[in-house]
Amino acid sequence: MHAALSPRPPHAPAAVPPDVAVVERLFQRACDLMQQGRHVEALPALDRLRRVPTPPPMALGLRAEALLALGRTTEAVADVDDALAADPGSSALLQLRSRARRAGGDRTGALDDAAAAVLADSASPAAKALLGTALLEQGQHDEAVFLIGAALRADPANPQYRFALARALSETGHHDAAEEILSQHGIERPDLPVAALRAQNALAADRPDLAAALAREALASRPADASLHAVLAHALMRLRDLDGAAAHLLSASRLRPEDGYLAHLAAALNGDTTEQGAEAYATALFDRYAPSFELSLLSLGWRGPGLVRRALERLRPGLAAGTERLGPVLDLGCGTGLVGVALSDLLGGGLTGVDLSARMLEQAARKGVYTALRQANLMTVLREAQPPCDVIVAADVLIYLGQADEMLALCRRRLAPDGLLLFTVERGADTGMGWHLERSARFSHGRAYLERALAAAALDVVEMREEVLRLEDDGMIDGLLVAARPAPSGAAH
Amino acid sequence: MQDASAPPSPFRAGLDALAARAPATALPLLRAAAESGEGGAYAGLNLGLALADLGRVEEALPLLRDAAVALPDLAEPWFRLGLAAALRREPTEAARLLDAALARAPEHVPALAARAMVAEADGHPGEAAALLERARAIDPVEPGLLLMEARLLLEQGDAELAASRCEAVLRAHPAQMAAAAKLLARALRAWLGEADALRHVDAGAEADPFSPAWPLAAAHLQVGCGRPETVLAHLRVAEALAPGEPAILAELAHGLMRAGRETEAEPLLREAMAASPGDLDLRNMLASVLWKRYRFAEMLAVLDDALRNFGEHPSLLSNRSLALTYCGRQREGLAAAERAVAISGGELPTLINRLSVLPYHPEQGGAAPLLAAGRDIARRVGPPARVAHGNARDPERRLRVGVLSGCLGVHPVGWLTLAGLEALPADGFELACYALRTRRDWLAARYRARATLWRDVADLPDEALAETIRDDGVDVLLDCGGYGEGGRLLALQHRPAPVQVKWVGVQFASTGLDCVDWMLTDARETPPGFEPFYSERLLRLPDGYVCYTPPPYAPEPGPLPALRNGYVTFGCFNNLAKVTPVTLAAWAEVLRQVPGARLRLRTHALADPATRADFVSRLAALGLDPDRLDLLGGCPHAEMLAAYRDIDIALDPFPYTGGLTVCEALWMGVPVVALAGDGFAARHALSHLGNAGLPGWVAGSVEDYVRLARYRASDLAGLAALRAGLRDQVRQSPLCDAPRFGQALGQALRHAWRDWCARN
Repeated sequence: MHAALSPRPPHAPAAVPPDVAVVERLFQRACDLMQQGRHVEALPALDRLRRVPTPPPMALGLRAEALLALGRTTEAVADVDDALAADPGSSALLQLRSRARRAGGDRTGALDDAAAAVLADSASPAAKALLGTALLEQGQHDEAVFLIGAALRADPANPQYRFALARALSETGHHDAAEEILSQHGIERPDLPVAALRAQNALAADRPDLAAALAREALASRPADASLHAVLAHALMRLRDLDGAAAHLLSASRLRPEDGYLAHLAAALNGDTTEQGAEAYATALFDRYAPSFELSLLSLGWRGPGLVRRALERLRPGLAAGTERLGPVLDLGCGTGLVGVALSDLLGGGLTGVDLSARMLEQAARKGVYTALRQANLMTVLREAQPPCDVIVAADVLIYLGQADEMLALCRRRLAPDGLLLFTVERGADTGMGWHLERSARFSHGRAYLERALAAAALDVVEMREEVLRLEDDGMIDGLLVAARPAPSGAAH
Repeated sequence: MQDASAPPSPFRAGLDALAARAPATALPLLRAAAESGEGGAYAGLNLGLALADLGRVEEALPLLRDAAVALPDLAEPWFRLGLAAALRREPTEAARLLDAALARAPEHVPALAARAMVAEADGHPGEAAALLERARAIDPVEPGLLLMEARLLLEQGDAELAASRCEAVLRAHPAQMAAAAKLLARALRAWLGEADALRHVDAGAEADPFSPAWPLAAAHLQVGCGRPETVLAHLRVAEALAPGEPAILAELAHGLMRAGRETEAEPLLREAMAASPGDLDLRNMLASVLWKRYRFAEMLAVLDDALRNFGEHPSLLSNRSLALTYCGRQREGLAAAERAVAISGGELPTLINRLSVLPYHPEQGGAAPLLAAGRDIARRVGPPARVAHGNARDPERRLRVGVLSGCLGVHPVGWLTLAGLEALPADGFELACYALRTRRDWLAARYRARATLWRDVADLPDEALAETIRDDGVDVLLDCGGYGEGGRLLALQHRPAPVQVKWVGVQFASTGLDCVDWMLTDARETPPGFEPFYSERLLRLPDGYVCYTPPPYAPEPGPLPALRNGYVTFGCFNNLAKVTPVTLAAWAEVLRQVPGARLRLRTHALADPATRADFVSRLAALGLDPDRLDLLGGCPHAEMLAAYRDIDIALDPFPYTGGLTVCEALWMGVPVVALAGDGFAARHALSHLGNAGLPGWVAGSVEDYVRLARYRASDLAGLAALRAGLRDQVRQSPLCDAPRFGQALGQALRHAWRDWCARN
């Protein structure tokens, strides 16, 4: 539906109220259509019911349902707010708002509402299942399994609860139990991706061979969907069949073209150089990764933070001696804040962290080192007019950015005249454009390209050192640690 | 003076009912009055008016003519006769009759309006405007006149004034709302452009949310914007705000039909028709609904009634030809199609309609008449556009292959092309799909997964569609829709691609069009020497022209039914359009020659009682004993396949042979006796049977066909052995060999491309 651009306040009562028969008809039509799942068709009638002085009580809730189904989550929440004002103790409305908030990204609000829904009606299995799912996403696994299990006991045949429990069990490492539920009959429904979850479960149980077999079987016998192709691709990656994975990622991306994560991964594995989707890829990757990020990074021996600190000590001897402190520091792609920790005792003018992933930032906040944390695209932050920085750090950020030229130019503008830019990259060949999307789905950069890009951004290279950044499955990742400062004249050369 | 307590006389009561717009109530009263002589000539006149209001024009006409004679100074009979003539597309006659009415009553506003409309339709806008001015001078506020004026203003380019006239009507005359809203949408679009027109209407709805006019106008603005659900949403709320209004019900029904929801459309359509019996378009819409639901006999009845009352409209005749053909009355069907062509002077839709029923005709369905019919279309549409394509002329580079179709999903096109397209070598070819209809089934998902580029183009008109395809740099375009509903063949006239190829998808004959360069075919469909039957060049694939995807849910063939039954069961699961009288006669002969054998027919149309009765009524005359027949309706696909477990031998119809049904029968272990003609559709079965390794099952004449059926039916052991191994045989044959087909298809398309490069 196109948006109305009227300057009038929304939902103002109509000048001439309609008669009862009209309202009744509008409501009846809307109910029928909503029952058939025809949300778009029902919406104009529901919009008009909003304008009636005393609308039928269920009308607001129905409109919220329709808006939610259409992805208009903010409006949906507003409608439920109004409905709850008239009926505060309604578990159904609280559940509806919980779903709407979750869809809008307000996980805390969704959790609160789900809890309130259970309190309002402790017998409602739907409320319990909803709360369980919300708790699962917060990492409270045991409570989640308990609640969803309770919902299922109250309604054992409900395929949605069975699916939710299977998912909860899978995410908490109880793969056999999850498989048992998923392999039962009667759980299949067009809106529940059972086959994909089953394969995903096998993959999480470290059985990529089984995951691949399950996904293949599902693809052969039912409509293909992006999830199945994606799971199969991940299983094949684990089995080192990158060509097979590439083909299925292509299919997955075509079936879900709006998914940047799939698009980026598909492009990487199929040898298309592209920058599109990298942001979505990084967000999705790290949102999922966040709880285990540090553990895995440290086990991979990520040397980034230490390298940055030692470079600063080299270039500002006063820091090592303790006679100097850093001015304002901007940590781009700060993740869980490991760089902040490494520099914590050298800070003097504040530390701002920027990252795409909310979950990473949650962990960074807990370290208590950052004065400010922003969930944003780093380029957006760099473009803002802000006081100059003493140091900008971008550790392992360009590996998800690709072309560096604009970022470097923006960094130069944000740096104080004697400021420093420190960044790490994975070292790549200087052929072609000088930067490449590797099959690992990360970008690599060539030395000569970086030199050119820095010069074009009016940044002088202070150091460009070859360093090993970390270990991966297939060996050590060779990288470059680069330190640069604004060129004195300010002109590009 | 009438006693106030006595009931009114039939004549009075009839007049009152007519004035209260209840012609159905008036009818028996006026009949009684006419019979008793009450009211004199006026009874007959008003009876005629009541019948006309009910759309029973054929019955009304003689009464109105009598009234014109009996009441010579009265304008009304002439006015009504003029209206009827206009409705029957007789403009000269209509003008004459309306002028006679106006001679008797120069200030008869409705007659002036009608005369103006006739003038406009006949291409005299100045005359129309003058008549309209006269009428408006007499009755400045009559809403119908205001709307007519608005329309004329719009034609003359004054969109803003037209819009304001429409809004005036909307404010003051709710009864005219439907027509006014539609015209308002047109005027706003012309005046403000799409986006601002929508804003204007939105503002109107915001200010007056319970007026149906605004959502109606919004619906009209949104048609063709690729969001059919949004259109329906507006119409739903308009209907709720103005229930029972026939024009709104009709729009809603139309919207549902566009969305493929005929079941929901039908009751609304009938409600609209009851309120508006004189509306021809509603009759045609109902015919379409019945068509989609396989109720062909009922469709025929609706059309026959409409023809009687509204005259020989080409659209009615064309629809009638479809109804007849799909009842299995192919000869009558072609006659109706020819009549439509004759009446309309060869209008394009009638020519296309003729070509679409021709291949079913037992005598005329051959390659030569089909090509002639196609060439008629080509002459009518004129030469294709001359376009300089910018595609790089490198004969060996990777090519972008476009597929244009509304059937990229679970549909014969899907079953017969998907595997081949999936197997096109990726290093040489990439796929771009142009979907004329959005499908969400599992075959559709596979097309999406294979395509580099996917566009949903349902709402694009032909020229814009061609431009889109051209801008995408498509090198070779495969048309998989043909002249049918799922196709947009004429878009190829705008030359979207340098190389244009006709493939599966209403592929029953040559298209006749110069813009189609190649016909993708094989040596069985078009053996050497068949070139003169095609306006296209023949691009022959080495095996067959299709690659079949067997359904993964197909059950096992099971044992030969004859062994447990003690008799042979012949089967045909094709639609009735393919079942000609000559085919039925051949089947009757087969049953005579194979004692005890039964024939089982299964198709959707046979589930409709009226169509089934119509079909059965013709069987006896053709020598078929109903006791030896099982006539069954359609069923879900998996069950349909399972139904082959009860068939020993499939008997294929002719001249239009089975296509997908042959592949499915073979997959289910059932061999097919077929007869091959010379047209493309007449050789579908030959191609599939040959490709699957059963060329000996195709006869060259009706006598051979019968002999073949009898011979095969006599060898049960042979049949059983064949059945046991047939699925494997088909699986391993080129019919199902996707990699092999993909290579061959790639080579063929490469050949066509190289040819173009060399010529350009």
